[in-house]
Amino acid sequence: MESEVNGILVAAHELKAPLGLLRQLALSLDMVDERAERKKIQTQMVSISDKALKQVQDLTKIARLDDGLFEVEPVAIRAVCDEVTEELRYLFRFNHRNLEIDYRNRSRLVMANRELLKSVVYNFCLNAMHYSDEETRSELTLQDSGGKVRLLVRDFGPALPMDVWRSLKKGWVEKPTSIAMRPGSSGLGLYIASKFSQYMNANVGAVRHRDGTSFFVELPISKQVSLF
Amino acid sequence: MIFIVDDDRMMAECIARAIRAEDSGAETKIFRNGIEAMAAIVDEIPEMIFLDVLLDGPDGFTFLNELMSYEDTEKIPVVVVSGIRFEEQSLKDYGVVGVLDKATMYPEQIRKYVRKYTGKEKNGGK
Repeated sequence: MESEVNGILVAAHELKAPLGLLRQLALSLDMVDERAERKKIQTQMVSISDKALKQVQDLTKIARLDDGLFEVEPVAIRAVCDEVTEELRYLFRFNHRNLEIDYRNRSRLVMANRELLKSVVYNFCLNAMHYSDEETRSELTLQDSGGKVRLLVRDFGPALPMDVWRSLKKGWVEKPTSIAMRPGSSGLGLYIASKFSQYMNANVGAVRHRDGTSFFVELPISKQVSLF
Repeated sequence: MIFIVDDDRMMAECIARAIRAEDSGAETKIFRNGIEAMAAIVDEIPEMIFLDVLLDGPDGFTFLNELMSYEDTEKIPVVVVSGIRFEEQSLKDYGVVGVLDKATMYPEQIRKYVRKYTGKEKNGGK
């Protein structure tokens, strides 16, 4: 019960920020006359809403994981990554960050649930954007690793705290923490990614670098012949 | 010049828009963290600062302590803008003259502080 309440508090805290920002952006509309500036604010509002809605949808999915509604099937992993990076393009550009993509995997199909995998990639990329220093890049890499495809997202920012790294070493994050993992984060995105990876029988983990962190998920390669 | 220190660029721009609205003549500069802001203060002492508390790197309190420690910055009026609730009274010792809740504040509240601490009125000038 206590951890459930804690989880609700963390989720509420995490969602308060985008709601507050949306309110301020809405109030800002009254203060600008230029069409281009109004358009910029409108784009920001849509982008922030999308991000918050995704988080709410992900939390709903976590509650439904036990129902087994999310089928694991062959998924074209590059297409999922392309879709996510396209969706996040505006946010990266606005925050003066760059997301570099490097597909080195020969195996194109992995066993996953498309929706859940998309959320994992989305949360890893958002996390990297938030923690990379301004004018720096984040990297999304796909590579073969034994019988799996490793999807790795690297940021160039503060190192991951030791306790979170240890938790990931076990293969998952047990719960979002109310103490910020790194500034401005409750770790909700990582918790969501961890839960979804666990459901898809994928390994999730992190690598600490001197100048940042890489989060990765390893998905089993599908034996089905790829058409992509 | 008014400094805004906030790692959320969109929120910082909202504050800047509120300050610049109504042709107040006030100018703003945005910084992502206290280190960048402190480095800029060496060249230019701002008239006042709007400061978020949870920042990347050293937090807002570290920045406030730093400000308090120098004779040329200790009296800069600081308004804390945060998602965390603070009692204004409890931050007085840090040179904080006001507290705004990020989620519920109105642009007019921001402008009130600007008028009070920089003397900048509507349609420019002091």
